[in-house]
Amino acid sequence: MEAGTAGEAWAGPQMSGFKDFFQFIAPTRVVAGRGLIEGLGFEFSKEGAKRVLIVTDEVIRGTGLVDKVDAGVTDGGLEVAGVFDGVPQDSDSAAVTGAAEAAREHGADAILAVGGGSVMDTAKAANVIFTHGGEPREWEGYFGLPRDDDGLGRPQELAPLACLPTTAGTGSEVSFAAVIKDRDEHIKFQVADLPMYPRLAVLDPESTRTLPPQLAAATGMDAMTHAIEGHVSSEWNPHGSAYALQALRLIRDNLEQAVAHPEDDDARGNMLVASNLAIQPTSSGAIGIAHSLSHPCGAYYDVPHGVANAINLPWVIEFNAAGGEPIADRYREINELFGLEVGGPGDQAGHALAEHVRGVVRALGLPTRLSEVGVPEEGIPQLVEGAEGDGCTLVNPRETTAEDFAELYRKAL
Amino acid sequence: MAYFKDDQEVYDYIGKLFENLADDDELGPKFRKANTIVQYQYRNPESQITVKMLEGEDGQVDLGPTDLEPEVVMTMEADTAHRFWLGKINVTVALARGQMKAKGPVAKILKLVPLVKPVFPRYKAQLEESGREDLVNVT
Repeated sequence: MEAGTAGEAWAGPQMSGFKDFFQFIAPTRVVAGRGLIEGLGFEFSKEGAKRVLIVTDEVIRGTGLVDKVDAGVTDGGLEVAGVFDGVPQDSDSAAVTGAAEAAREHGADAILAVGGGSVMDTAKAANVIFTHGGEPREWEGYFGLPRDDDGLGRPQELAPLACLPTTAGTGSEVSFAAVIKDRDEHIKFQVADLPMYPRLAVLDPESTRTLPPQLAAATGMDAMTHAIEGHVSSEWNPHGSAYALQALRLIRDNLEQAVAHPEDDDARGNMLVASNLAIQPTSSGAIGIAHSLSHPCGAYYDVPHGVANAINLPWVIEFNAAGGEPIADRYREINELFGLEVGGPGDQAGHALAEHVRGVVRALGLPTRLSEVGVPEEGIPQLVEGAEGDGCTLVNPRETTAEDFAELYRKAL
Repeated sequence: MAYFKDDQEVYDYIGKLFENLADDDELGPKFRKANTIVQYQYRNPESQITVKMLEGEDGQVDLGPTDLEPEVVMTMEADTAHRFWLGKINVTVALARGQMKAKGPVAKILKLVPLVKPVFPRYKAQLEESGREDLVNVT
C-alpha cells in the first residue's frame, strides 16, 4: 500500500496547516510596465549605481536592445562603463571571470544584466568575484559569502546589480542563485547567497519583443514548472503559494497567446510578470524533482532547461500525486485554477493535471519525449545519479529512490 | 549551554558514529559513491571531523587536524550536528536559516541525506550505551 492511501497514516512532510518554520525572502525591487528601458538609468540610480557595466550576449546585442539600454542608462544620468557581451548559451566559469574582469578594467561600480537566465546568472556570479575576488568555483555552495561577526552576522553587500530579463521563464532576476557550467568537469555548479539577489528587476515587454516563439514556449514551461513545484514542494508555504498560484493564472491566460502572437505586448508583459512570480517559492527552497530530472538532461545532453521541464513535469505530477492525499490535495488546488477535475483519488487528480500540462506542451509545439531531444536509453543510469544528487530532490514532497528516478526517465523517454 | 563540554566529547560521540559508518558493510560503500572528501567544522566546542569517501578506496575519518584536502566544507554548531544525527534537523531549513553553511559541490553531500535516516536510531543507541541519556533527550 502506498503512503497516504486509505488506512495508513500520512508519514510524509507537512503539506497543510501552520508550519513549524518557513522563511520567505523577496528583497528585489521590481518595476514593471511599458517604456521602462528609456528610464533604466533613473531607476538604477536609486540603487546606488553610477558607472554601469552591461552584461549581455552577442545575440541580444545583435537585436539592437543593448543600444536602447545604453541610451536609457545614459539618459538617467549614469555612465555606461562598458559592455561585456561574451556570455555563451550556457553560462560558464570563463564568462563569469571575464565579466568580473571587464567590470574592474572599465572602472564600473554597478552591473546591469540584459538577457536570459545565463546572462543574469553570469552577472550575479561575476558580481561576487568583482566584489570579493577569487575564482567562481571557490564560491560554490550555499550561504558561503563573507559575513560580519566571524561569518555569523549580516552578509556583506555586493555591488548594485539590476536585471532586464529578455526571456520569461527563469525568474533569475529575483532569485539569489547562479547556476554556472564548469566545462572542464562537465558539471553545473551553484553559487547562492542572500546578497546575490539583484537590487532591481525591470519587466518591460519591449525586452522580449524579439524572443523566438520556440524559446518563449520553453521558458514559459520553465515558469509553469517553478510555480507547480513551488506550490507542491515539501517546503511550500503560504507566501510562496500566493505567488505560485497567481503565476499559474497568468500563465494559463497568457502563455499560448504570447507564443502564438509574439506581437501581443500584453501577453508578453504578463508572462514576464508570471515568470517573476513563479520563481519566488524557491526563496524558501520550494521546488521538486522535475528540476532534479531536468538538470542532468541539460548537463549531459544539452537539453534546454525549459524543454526538459516541459517533458518531465507531467510524469512527476503523476508520481507525486500517487504518493498520498496530502500531496494530491495541493495539486487539486492547481486543478481548480485550471478548471480540471479535483475529485476522486489522488492519482486521478494528478493524472488530470498531467494530461492538461501535456496538452499545453503539445499546443506550444514543444517536444514531449526525451528521446526526441537526444536522450538515449543507455544514458539513464548516469542521469539517475545526477538526479539523486540534485539539491531539488530533498524538497520533493514524495521521497524518490534511484529506481523511481529510473522509472520516471523511462516513462519520459 | 552546549551539549558537548569539549572537542573530545564531539569526537567520542559524533566522531565515533562517522567511524562506525565508514566501516559499515552496507552503508560504507554507498557513502563512498559520493566520491568526495567532506570536512565538518563545528563551533561550541571548536572541533573538526574530516571524512574521506572516495570510490574504490577505504573510508577514512580524521578527528581534529588532518592532511586530507576537503572538497566540501560544512560549518555548523556542534549542537546542530548532534540534533541532526538525532533526526531533529531538516537540512533544507537549516541551510535556509544559516544554521548550516555549505561550501563546495554540496550536491555530493545532499545526495547522502536520505541514506542517513536509518542511522538516527543507531546514534541514539550509541549515546545510551555510553550512559549519555542526557544527550538523547534534547529538544
